[in-house]
Amino acid sequence: MMKRNIYLFWLILLLLITSAQISKGQSSKRELSVNLSYFNQNNSIQYLSAQTKTKVDGKFQNVAGIPITFYINSEIPNNLIGKAITNENGYAILFIPPAAQQIWKQNAKQTFLAVSASTPQFESNNASTEITKAKIVIDTGTDKTITATFLALNDSTWQPIKSIDMKLAIKRFDGDLDINETPTYTTDSLGQISGVYKRDNLPGDSKGNIVLVAKVEDNDQFGNLSSEKIVPWGTILKYNSQFDKRTLFARSGRAPIWLELIAYSIMISVWGIIIFLILQIRKVIKLGKNVG
Amino acid sequence: MENLDKQKITSDLLPAKFGKRGTIWVAILLAFCAIGLFAYVRQLTKGLIVTSMRDYVSWGIYISNFVFFVAISLVGSLITAIFRLNNVHWSTPLTRIAEIIAVSAITFAAIIIVVDMGRPDRFYNLFLHGRLQSPIIWDVIVITTYFFISLLLLYFPLLPDLQILIKFKDKTNRTLYRLYCFLGSFWKNTPQQINISAKALNILSITIIPVAFAIHTVTSWLFATTYRPGWDSTNFGAYFISGAFLVGAGAVLVAMYVFRKEYQLERYITEVHFDKMGKVVVMLALLYLYFNVNEFLVPAFKMKKPEEDHLKGLFNGEFAFVFWFAIITSMILPIIILLFKKGRKPFPAFVAGILVVIGSWFKRYIIVTPTLLHPFLPMYDVPQSYRHYFPSWEEWAIAIGSLAGALLIITIFARIFPIIPIQETIEEFEEKSDLSLKNKQNVS
Repeated sequence: MMKRNIYLFWLILLLLITSAQISKGQSSKRELSVNLSYFNQNNSIQYLSAQTKTKVDGKFQNVAGIPITFYINSEIPNNLIGKAITNENGYAILFIPPAAQQIWKQNAKQTFLAVSASTPQFESNNASTEITKAKIVIDTGTDKTITATFLALNDSTWQPIKSIDMKLAIKRFDGDLDINETPTYTTDSLGQISGVYKRDNLPGDSKGNIVLVAKVEDNDQFGNLSSEKIVPWGTILKYNSQFDKRTLFARSGRAPIWLELIAYSIMISVWGIIIFLILQIRKVIKLGKNVG
Repeated sequence: MENLDKQKITSDLLPAKFGKRGTIWVAILLAFCAIGLFAYVRQLTKGLIVTSMRDYVSWGIYISNFVFFVAISLVGSLITAIFRLNNVHWSTPLTRIAEIIAVSAITFAAIIIVVDMGRPDRFYNLFLHGRLQSPIIWDVIVITTYFFISLLLLYFPLLPDLQILIKFKDKTNRTLYRLYCFLGSFWKNTPQQINISAKALNILSITIIPVAFAIHTVTSWLFATTYRPGWDSTNFGAYFISGAFLVGAGAVLVAMYVFRKEYQLERYITEVHFDKMGKVVVMLALLYLYFNVNEFLVPAFKMKKPEEDHLKGLFNGEFAFVFWFAIITSMILPIIILLFKKGRKPFPAFVAGILVVIGSWFKRYIIVTPTLLHPFLPMYDVPQSYRHYFPSWEEWAIAIGSLAGALLIITIFARIFPIIPIQETIEEFEEKSDLSLKNKQNVS
């Protein structure tokens, strides 16, 4: 009996140690945080962006290579809208596919879910965002005033929304330039904001067009929205072709005049000397023949 | 100073037939040339793929060889022109050696460039569609100009010797006699002819100096007008020219020893010549070392990111052995040898000359290839063969063939023409004996 109890004691101890090791192994996986954002560009392109981060030595670091599965409304196979893998900056982008159109049109409010897969380094995690469909309508006046209206879908009607922070900017090559010194506007009771374009002499394209953009960023209810409009308020960009100009990088026959002058004068003078010396040889030959 | 009469000088300096050694030497050179030609035919038929040049290393040992030949050709301007203008009479026995080295080197510089082209049949496009703004066009113009000036500088002093060669018809064969007659039977040594020749030589000596400087400066600009780490340097013009003078002078030391030994020219190429030429080489080596310090120490001090990989590769990386070998062989060892009087004796000076030439060839390789293996954008997703460069057997064969070809021209020239100017040597010996006679008379 005593022996049996001893064996039982060692067996239980062994089991406890083994399960502790297993749980230790399991808990060596790090925690992964997932953030999900919704984007609506120009009321036509909608996409989701999931960002994964992890805390290393008290600082958040982006995590690349994490498979993310996106769902709409609920995490069931029928509501799967796509998969993506986070890039070197920790972002996974998914454009909402046409296949999701039916379920997309069902409600004014949609919930999107992003589920990160479990990997050897990280636990699985998920994030969700609930979005109310919205849009921005831009209008412009001849005096360069810009009016942007923020409308949200309520059942099947578009209603203006008050107190939404919006920005009015001009799209440039590497970012957006505010139209004036006011960085942000807030919509009034009509859901409108108004600003005056003050960036005179901003270079446009060959026709003087610039792209106006009204955007809402990181709104908890509506996500990220932007709307664009092309306006002829920029200066006409004249492209001066250098093709026929005399430059150091131009084609054959189009060298700078100063280079041609220098090069040809050197060549003429040196080769003139060589030709002179060859003629001197002829003179020596003639002298020799005369003596002979 | 040994008192030699005109006949003795002439018989000593007339070109002689090849002995057994000479024949073997020519046969070896011809064999190398033939192998080089065979390799070139393979390259022409199969394309540049037979070489190890790829997308990144598009300039390999052909271009290293080209720069080497252009460098070595500068000796013509140094010995013949600069020394002549400064009345450095001790260089008289060396002028023809220097000029023939210059002419053969510049000939093969032009040839090796054509070899480097994958499609030599398109060579005419260079002239039809050449851009004056391109350093390559400047190089073509300057090399052609320097070739003709070097030929003239070789030809004018040869005229009086041709007259002597024609006179000693019995010492030569019919073919050579005809050649001498064609080249110089009109030379009668009249005062007007001598006057024209002297003036022409002066004009050539003055003209060749800026052209020689231009040829190697423009060659350096093929590299320095780019942004590449290792090439983007304002130092390149002076750096190349000083290196060119050094390798040319080194080549003359080698040629002096070989001709002196083979043709028993101890009375004409004396130990004094080795001593003086040795001092010239030391000075040029120190000057080149100074430019090397500027070229490498300054970027290493700054260690700009684009240049870091390149410099580390040279100092202690993939190219470290070749780099330090080139520096030590072409500059350090020759300076140590030639700094001492014993080192300026014929044989040690000859060894120093060999070291200079060999080291300088590898120095040109170091200038050309490592930079190409460190492009601005990292090499990504390319075959392994793109990441390294070691010349293929075809490249080695062609490069060695070109070196053999240059040596062959020099050898054949030495067979056909006097390697030391006969008439000038006679005049100098007569001047010296007149001077010593006057001194004796004054003393008595």
